[in-house]
Amino acid sequence: MQIDPSIKSRPKYVAPELVASAGLQLFVSESDAGHLLEPLYRQCSESGAQWLVAEPGNAPGTLADSLSGYLQRVLSDAPVTTRLYVAGSEGFLWDIRNQALSAGLVDEQIQLAPPVTKARRLFCTHCYTLMEGVTSSPHTCSGCGRLLLVRDHFARLHGAYVGVQINAEDPEEQLEQEVLQ
Amino acid sequence: MSIDSIPVRVMAIEQVAPLIREFKLEAIEGKLPAFSPGSHVQVIMPGEAREIRNAYSLCSDPAMPRRYSIAVRLQEDSRGGSSFMHGEVNVGDELAITPPANLFAPVMAARKHLLIAGGVGITPFMSYIPELKRQGAEFELHYLYRGSQTGAYLDQLQQQLGSALHRYDSGQGNKCDLSTVLSDQGPGTHVYICGPESLIEGVCSTAKALGWPESLIHYEAFAAPEPGEPFKAQLTRSGKTLDVAADESLLEALEREGIAVPNLCRGGVCGQCATPVIEGAVEHRDEFLSADEKANGGCIMPCVSRAAGKHLTLDI
Ligand code: FES
Repeated sequence: MQIDPSIKSRPKYVAPELVASAGLQLFVSESDAGHLLEPLYRQCSESGAQWLVAEPGNAPGTLADSLSGYLQRVLSDAPVTTRLYVAGSEGFLWDIRNQALSAGLVDEQIQLAPPVTKARRLFCTHCYTLMEGVTSSPHTCSGCGRLLLVRDHFARLHGAYVGVQINAEDPEEQLEQEVLQ
Repeated sequence: MSIDSIPVRVMAIEQVAPLIREFKLEAIEGKLPAFSPGSHVQVIMPGEAREIRNAYSLCSDPAMPRRYSIAVRLQEDSRGGSSFMHGEVNVGDELAITPPANLFAPVMAARKHLLIAGGVGITPFMSYIPELKRQGAEFELHYLYRGSQTGAYLDQLQQQLGSALHRYDSGQGNKCDLSTVLSDQGPGTHVYICGPESLIEGVCSTAKALGWPESLIHYEAFAAPEPGEPFKAQLTRSGKTLDVAADESLLEALEREGIAVPNLCRGGVCGQCATPVIEGAVEHRDEFLSADEKANGGCIMPCVSRAAGKHLTLDI
């Protein structure tokens, strides 16, 4: 199978910049990614800014309940002029972004910092299992055991890259491992 | 390409505010096309010196497309359009309109709709409101008017909307504090403004200063083309040269010569009428072209823009 290396769906990330006029400056990060938002946070007045921190390594596809519930409450009281800055692993960024969208925010209000690791969240297109921290391809699905090619195709809804079985014809075939960039 | 016109008959005329008249229109043959909330039509008027075309929002319920309503404010410095509608049009008369087009549709996915109307700018919202109500959408209307001139449909709106209607009669000294109205809104609120340029500017600049995302701000201005200096337009394709009078737009002059230019808004926002310029400086008055495109000068929006000098050569 030929995979186009310039595949469009892979998100591009740039370092967030503070949007000075905002009714609420909201920062959300995993605990090991705070340094990416720190300089922005320091430019804000205390009254207009809030920071929520999560422990990294949550269950795939679900934010820790406590953070998710708290974010929900913050967003439901937030003004339309809210700006949201997110830092952490790639899956986390998109979980937060998706939760913000369902609270009514639009992408224009949300900035995602470059992910702190190259590890990917992987979505098995055969059994729909989500796996965290995938660093090389192919990868054996923890759900169905198939050997998955990790594609650059990114599903925003899951915050995950798509994995498709690579050795369907000959499950015995050995394949070279490639480190993901 | 010219837009087909639909012949209509004026069924009723009602004075809905001291300076605003509502015209109910029905098809002379067959049915009028269905339309979506926020749509407008152009009315093609046989003016004294030349044909006049003005765009008016449909202000009736889109669920009842059998007849259209438009409301026309008499403009003091009318270029002929509104004074024609107020002075010359009677019940039973025939008019020609273009099929409805929509440059100002509500975003149905919005969490809430914040409608801000100035004067006769209430008209597009008259087609929004029945639809928003049917959808069970959350909305509020802030209506700025001057009771001695405008303020159409107030009783009807008061009855339908109750506390969702906020009225500001500038004649009574009631001011709308835009910054309060715009600050008190939650995520996913879309704001829509229709009214004079000054109101649109005021809302946009206040919203931006507060940090509103631009994608949530929508507005519609139907500014009639401002007059300017007369100039000559030379047309390379047809080999014609035409004189554009001080009080007519380049688009109107082209139409007068039988040269059809696609157009929807006739107010410099939709981009339909873009026409390539070969030579001559342009006084850009539209909101469609970017600053770069304006500086480059290769294109003009003839519905509002004019020659900066005495002549223009157009690739048309
Ligand atoms: S007709 Fe819309 S920009 Fe000219």
